[in-house]
Amino acid sequence: METFNNPKPVLHLLLLPCLLLYSSIAFSSSVEAAMHTNNWAVLVCTSRFWFNYRHMANTLSLYRTVKRLGIPDERIILMLADDMACNTRNKYPAQVFNNENHRLNLYGDNVEVDYRGYEVTVENFLRVLTGRHETAVPRSKRLLSDEGSHILLYMTGHGGDEFLKFQDSEELQSHDLADAVKQMKEKHRFKELLIMVDTCQAATLFNQLQSPGVLAIGSSMKGENSYSHHLDSDVGVSVVDRFTYYTLAFFERLNIYDNASLSSLFSSYNPSWLMSTAYYRKGVYKRSLEEVPVTTFFGSVMETIHTDAAYKALSRRNSGKFEAQTSLDQSVHHSERRTPVKVNDRDETHNINPEGQEGASKCPWSTFCNKFLKAENVDSLVNYGLVAMVPFLMISMWLVR
Amino acid sequence: MEKLKKKLGSFSFWNWVIASIIFRLILIYFPKNLNLSSRPEVSTPLTSFRRLAEGYWLKQSSMSPYAGSMYHGSPLLLSLLGPLTLKRIEGQPNHLLYSLVSVIADVVSAMLIRSTGQSLQLAYFRSLESLDLVKQIEGSEVHSSGDVAALVYLCNPFTIVACVGLSTSPIENMAVILCLYGACSRLIPLAAFGWVIATHLSLYPAILIIPVIFLLGCGPDSPPRKLFLQRQQQKGVLNQAKLPPGFSWGPIIHFAFWALVWSVYVLVLCGISLKQFGGLWEMFKSTYGFILTVEDLSPNIGVLWYFFAEVFEFFRNFFLIVFHVNILFIILPLAIRLHHRPCYLAFVYVAICSMLKSYPSVGDSALYLGLLGWFVNELSDMQFSLFLFCGYVGVSLLSPVMHNLWIWRGTGNANFYFATAMVYACLQIVLVVEGVSAMLNHDRKLRSLITGKPQDSKS
Repeated sequence: METFNNPKPVLHLLLLPCLLLYSSIAFSSSVEAAMHTNNWAVLVCTSRFWFNYRHMANTLSLYRTVKRLGIPDERIILMLADDMACNTRNKYPAQVFNNENHRLNLYGDNVEVDYRGYEVTVENFLRVLTGRHETAVPRSKRLLSDEGSHILLYMTGHGGDEFLKFQDSEELQSHDLADAVKQMKEKHRFKELLIMVDTCQAATLFNQLQSPGVLAIGSSMKGENSYSHHLDSDVGVSVVDRFTYYTLAFFERLNIYDNASLSSLFSSYNPSWLMSTAYYRKGVYKRSLEEVPVTTFFGSVMETIHTDAAYKALSRRNSGKFEAQTSLDQSVHHSERRTPVKVNDRDETHNINPEGQEGASKCPWSTFCNKFLKAENVDSLVNYGLVAMVPFLMISMWLVR
Repeated sequence: MEKLKKKLGSFSFWNWVIASIIFRLILIYFPKNLNLSSRPEVSTPLTSFRRLAEGYWLKQSSMSPYAGSMYHGSPLLLSLLGPLTLKRIEGQPNHLLYSLVSVIADVVSAMLIRSTGQSLQLAYFRSLESLDLVKQIEGSEVHSSGDVAALVYLCNPFTIVACVGLSTSPIENMAVILCLYGACSRLIPLAAFGWVIATHLSLYPAILIIPVIFLLGCGPDSPPRKLFLQRQQQKGVLNQAKLPPGFSWGPIIHFAFWALVWSVYVLVLCGISLKQFGGLWEMFKSTYGFILTVEDLSPNIGVLWYFFAEVFEFFRNFFLIVFHVNILFIILPLAIRLHHRPCYLAFVYVAICSMLKSYPSVGDSALYLGLLGWFVNELSDMQFSLFLFCGYVGVSLLSPVMHNLWIWRGTGNANFYFATAMVYACLQIVLVVEGVSAMLNHDRKLRSLITGKPQDSKS
């Protein structure tokens, strides 16, 4: 994503060997694929009407889990097709429960819904996945993932053989989904993708998926229905589906530091409890499921570094170095030590030094440009230029007199 | 109008200025700026301060300030006003610093209007002297046009609302007035600076280059050259020195040089500022491209949004050309007819632009209503002045009501709001037409005074 808008073609030719040189020096591990740098979650509830309360409760439960395990709101796209919390038939206004014990209010203080009501359409869903939006769509509604992202895509609602029903009026078909995922792969919009679908005959929805790095799990196979878990007689409707209920049961036992693997998640689904067969499809997913922790998709293992300075986009190559994929305990201490900040400075100078060294011998003007037009200097230069306008004006007026 | 003139006599100029500043400060301290910044009449996609804050935040997060089609202004404004969006002082209203900046901009504009008006009036009297008409004019009331114009600009409710309502109109207006002031006072670098900055901030002041060329070439407003020749013929004297100077190209070339210097300076600064976000092309696409292609169709007090909301895609480009050429076609005939009165030409151009621009707001009207004050003496016989005054008051009261009915209560629809916008456009058209005919009548009156022929009352 870092484009070098340099007008001098000479420098373009110089950059390539310099970058190759740098990458071969700086990296001991293989660098053919990008490192995992961020996590995104796209949670979609496609059903309207009060009796589909459980689909919204499913999605909000996943939303809560995913937030609890560390994915922030900026990285979550929540699409809810109807408003159950403020529905006139809701006996508990502004509250959504996923269990009849009403222990958890899922619609708490910090629920950020990105696509609501009639905005949840197949077109908008595909636009979110492929990233083709109108110019005026705000950033909070875009999936701004890149080649280092792990994306969790969770869809729930009513579905059938190779389709998923949206808003009771249109359908998303399996080949639409496969096409969108293929486009995402070509545009490097994800590193790994986990699709989780909780509808009837869910496994048929990813029959056409062929892209590498995509894992998919559905709550039932072709010809099977997915059932709701229990009816809440107080609220008056079923409040959660079985597949999501057992998924949540698995996650409620975890916290952010746990190391449970995806295979343990997938094997926790008992067909007799689900009353359907949860089928997962590995496809061209390279890693073994025992090695992949669930937090790869459901949580966010990035450490946060608190700083009051203005955020400048860091180079992605080195920020992945400090991802603690093996022991998550160290991640807390890393942030306190603030070593990544120093490394990133080094990274920026490393970026510029090779060009500088090569450039000095060939093009002194380009080194001058690069030295004075680094990111931090640009703003101060513009400010000086603006301030200098006034005395320049005065001097010019005095000269002309 | 009569009452205002009497009151001006009793209450001195500076008292009015201080009163208007205090009034603005009082309004600033009302909670949430009286919600003026959310009114579509006040803040448009181009002038909204909230969008500037968003653009600044985007820039600080290393993203292009034009991302998401929120901010459409100059990157220099971002560097200048951006930090003001973040500073919050305890216990003070939110954007106090920016409001103070716009108050200062208004006061500076008023002072510049005043001094330009004074130099215009001096030029007027000098030309009357050389035409030997001073005695005839002395009988009627002559007002200090500079003072009147400055006070009209400061105390105009439109200006106050634009200032308090957190829009960037006060700064754009200041640039335009700086340009006209520089041109009238023969300060060519200042005129070039004002013109370049005004064009950079919003595209339309570019057409002010024509009045500026006339101002620098011929000098400030004066009666037609023919009258001087006729007067001298009558007297039998041909005194070349008493004639107003003919058109001189020297200052124009000087102006072109300084305009080039300032343009290069501004463009280089913008290019540096947007280097990693797509450079100057991105800036032109998001600022001038946005203005010319009318991308945003949210309602405002202009007439383009309604039209472009219903035009078919196939004809959109055609109608874009029609609307923009509408302004361009008016430039040449007016320039030919009013070339001897460049400041008035500038006023007419500003009025036409603020009527036909893509996203007009009341801040633009504030500008030309202030400039109208320069010509109180020449336009004293303007017809329909009461009608226009009542019309403006009526539209400014009804337009928020119709907006409320349409958007908040849902009992009206877009036609209600567009009706007030159309009435507003009609009022501006009447103002421009009557103003131009009153000015031409004034010239005819002068000619009849010289030749002694009975004058026509209407063209």
